[in-house]
Amino acid sequence: MILTSVKLKNFRCHKDISLSFSENLNYIVGGNGQGKTAILESIYYLCTTKSHNTNSDIEVLKFGENVFEIFGSFKNLVNDEVRVIYSSEENKKRYLQNGKHKHRLSEVIGNYPIVLLTPVDHSITFGYPGDRRKFFDSIYCQASAAYLGLLVDYNRTIRQRTSLLYSIRENRNKNFSELDAWTQKLLETGAELINYRKNFFSEFELFVKQAHSEILNGNENPGLTYFYLSGYDGKDIKDRFAELLEAKREDELRRCACLVGPHKDDFIFDINGINLKTFGSQGQHKTFQVALRFAEFFYLKEKTGKAPIFLLDDVFGELDTARSVRISENLRRVGQTFITLTDFTDISYLHKRSTDTVIKLMDGIVTYA
Amino acid sequence: MQIAEPLQIAIEELSKLPSIGRKTAQRLAIHLLKSDIDAVEKLLSAIQNLKTKLRFCNRCFNISTEDLCDICSNHKRDHSLICVVEEASDVIAVEKSNEYHGSYHVLAGVLSPLSGVGPESLHIKELLKRFETEEIQEIILALNPDTEGEATSLYLAKLIKPLGVKVSRIARGLPIGGDLEFADEATIGRAVLGRITL
Repeated sequence: MILTSVKLKNFRCHKDISLSFSENLNYIVGGNGQGKTAILESIYYLCTTKSHNTNSDIEVLKFGENVFEIFGSFKNLVNDEVRVIYSSEENKKRYLQNGKHKHRLSEVIGNYPIVLLTPVDHSITFGYPGDRRKFFDSIYCQASAAYLGLLVDYNRTIRQRTSLLYSIRENRNKNFSELDAWTQKLLETGAELINYRKNFFSEFELFVKQAHSEILNGNENPGLTYFYLSGYDGKDIKDRFAELLEAKREDELRRCACLVGPHKDDFIFDINGINLKTFGSQGQHKTFQVALRFAEFFYLKEKTGKAPIFLLDDVFGELDTARSVRISENLRRVGQTFITLTDFTDISYLHKRSTDTVIKLMDGIVTYA
Repeated sequence: MQIAEPLQIAIEELSKLPSIGRKTAQRLAIHLLKSDIDAVEKLLSAIQNLKTKLRFCNRCFNISTEDLCDICSNHKRDHSLICVVEEASDVIAVEKSNEYHGSYHVLAGVLSPLSGVGPESLHIKELLKRFETEEIQEIILALNPDTEGEATSLYLAKLIKPLGVKVSRIARGLPIGGDLEFADEATIGRAVLGRITL
């Protein structure tokens, strides 16, 4: 699936521009504040109905305007025309596919799969366990509806059980058999969730190793470890889960929080057996983040049978020339890709081909090189 | 725009009903306005009868015209079986299947600490009381397969099992006559897990 063109009206700093794209690499080049990331953001809107970096549509609207509009043409077996229109006066957003109104997110998600690499990915390798869970969950949920259902069920159980722990502490409720039932529910859904994550992770790790070695030519060997249920020693997951729940029971009642379960899972990355978060350099972190996104791309392509559109926002900033060149060469295998770059002269080493497009943005004027 | 007050009141009252929005309420009110007085009075008394002629069964909390509902007072039914459901509307659903000939117990909700619903707000005490007066052999839990329904099932199983009564939960799977390709992935996954040997 290929995005052939985009038209933007009053979107971020763009008053009214039209862009046409290559089926291969698209470099979007311009100075700071010229709206490079805004173009990636508009592509994200077309594929998912929303922005990747804000929850409120009004922030995306050009200052002093009331309506923004994104128009995109996709080329597939058939051609799709997608329009996203937002009006601040009505505070309403419309998503139309071939002129038909799509009301539900679930009608849109998965039609145009997308993988996005941004500087915010920093948090996957540097940040908290929650950032990593969010990253892996978002990939697995796209591949498995059963996992998505399980995750929703589990999160609801956590909320219900936490609420019950509060009411027990405030003495509104002294019914411990009710707590036992919710603990049992947590245990059953949680153990199933861990099993799903174990399977997913052992498969996904291969994709990461593959991507990493292609970027680096095999100098570094990345590793991923899935940590769940502290002290787990290979016996039955449910047994260990139950032991931990029992041990933390008093703590849970005092702190009114669910302290054990897959919502506390973490994923540890290493390079040649050395912990990345503690000892990795900026460049190693960045390379790892790129490898994770490449892995996501190929994993989703295999699982869903559709090649996602690949967006890379400002990736080459922290990488040396050798790594940048290898990444851009690998991108040729990928399919349609959009890359933002700050400096026009920068791309000389990336060996642009005739099928690639360079889009230069300056003061709202688009030129192709 | 000025709307005559009686009409406005009718619209307001109708739009309080579940799944009725303002526009539908307006359409209903205008329709009633145009209808014969006979039809309106029939509707009125039908609504009034809901409150005056119906009550909840003393034993199972199903909707009933008497102290005991038709199912509880029917001697032909198997009263050693109790099917536990969330709402009275679920009784109607199971009854329509014509496959179940035991009795029921309506909980009037499920456990949900977030909405402040605990065991004491459900008809659980009344269910346990039934063990004192009735000879019960099996409890069938037919609650919705969502987070709260499952937690409630687990809670009831823990309470009832020590009484030496069989506790079962209805199976999950594919709808009869449904196409496999149209079923959602989660249901198919469950159905594969719960497969039976032929």
